[in-house]
Amino acid sequence: MSIAGKALTGAIRGYQLTISPLTGPRCKYHPTCSHFAIEAIQVHGAFVGTGLAGWRLLRCNPWSNGGVDDVPAKGERLFRITRNNAAMLPDPTPARPI
Amino acid sequence: MDTLLFPLEWVVANVMVIWHWIWSAIGLDPAAGITWALSIVGLVITIRAALIPLFVKQINASRAMQVIAPDLKKIQDKYKGKKDQASREAMSRETMELYSKHKTNPFASCLPMLIQAPIFFALFRVLNGLEGNATPGAPTQGIGMLSDTLMEQAQSATLFGAQLSETFLRGASVEGKILSAVLIVAMVATTFLTQHQLTRRNLPASALEGPMAQQQKILMYVLPFIFVISGPNFPVGVLIYWTTTNVWTFGQQWYVIRNNPTPGSDAYRAYQERMAAKAAKKAAHGGTDASTAVIEAEAVDESGPKRSGQRQQPKRKNRGGAKPQQLPAADDLPASDDKDPS
Repeated sequence: MSIAGKALTGAIRGYQLTISPLTGPRCKYHPTCSHFAIEAIQVHGAFVGTGLAGWRLLRCNPWSNGGVDDVPAKGERLFRITRNNAAMLPDPTPARPI
Repeated sequence: MDTLLFPLEWVVANVMVIWHWIWSAIGLDPAAGITWALSIVGLVITIRAALIPLFVKQINASRAMQVIAPDLKKIQDKYKGKKDQASREAMSRETMELYSKHKTNPFASCLPMLIQAPIFFALFRVLNGLEGNATPGAPTQGIGMLSDTLMEQAQSATLFGAQLSETFLRGASVEGKILSAVLIVAMVATTFLTQHQLTRRNLPASALEGPMAQQQKILMYVLPFIFVISGPNFPVGVLIYWTTTNVWTFGQQWYVIRNNPTPGSDAYRAYQERMAAKAAKKAAHGGTDASTAVIEAEAVDESGPKRSGQRQQPKRKNRGGAKPQQLPAADDLPASDDKDPS
């Protein structure tokens, strides 16, 4: 990871250890915004990762429905309005037709 | 940083001037410290009132929590006693997916908290600007409606003999030190009470154990010391702002915890007891209409699976239970099969 990535990750860890416990659980999504940010920086680097984290924070508002929203894998479409859920199959066709 | 915060500083300064004008119009002395202190209180009221729509939206979003309580209980029973990382993660995923499916969520979301932080910094800078204005070497310029003359007035205004921009450390007067100390104590006390109310009353028992909860508990007691260290650097005005914000948060939280407690928490038990007492009272008055009967019947139903929750242990069944999401797809099979060959 780059120095910028390490610094950002360290700052987010600091937030998780000190500020977050005080405000109680508040994130609507499954990897919480801070966990999402760390993972996004790990997978996509400091620059794109920060962008993804910012986009996630904007979506974590009282009008969204929350739920499971994973960091998009490399090569996947990055910014989407709907959630990116690896557990949810994008294509509902059955694996083995009977 | 300066240019980023400037629009916010501008807004903060203007809101304060408007409130100062209102208080003066009511009859308070424009040059008095209390008027400027109340302007800061007014600033809190404005900001938090502007955030009320978010708050109402969040309350409405958490209304349906009661409806999904049985489903939630099922998930909790499924992962009962499993404390390893993978189980916790899976449980969290399933819970969040359930919330999302029913378009309900007990959590406040991250963005509103993040919006408030820059406002705090902006106020900090505006108040520091007041002080900078007073030092002869570096006069600062007025922001928005907060003109230089108003700034001077605000700077020379004293509340119990203390200036609003005075800090405990850099305050010249004894009164400033005393007022700062009192406000630091008030700030620590209100912060602690708000934390305590939130964590001890409104979190389910499951959230009160484990390393995270332990850390939360430690921090709740460490925080006062952090404030005792950082507080002396805060201007009196910032201390007033922080304390007022805490009081508002406390009141808002009290309302939420009373009317929309998190299922499974202490407050939720109290809420249910209150509702049961209310229903019993209504029934005693002879007004046993259909709606109360239905509510009571539901309450009985809820206690049923609670007791039999232990019997849901066999794992095979649970594994099957995790798949109903795919069942509808299987139901669609014949239909899609018809289409596939064609």
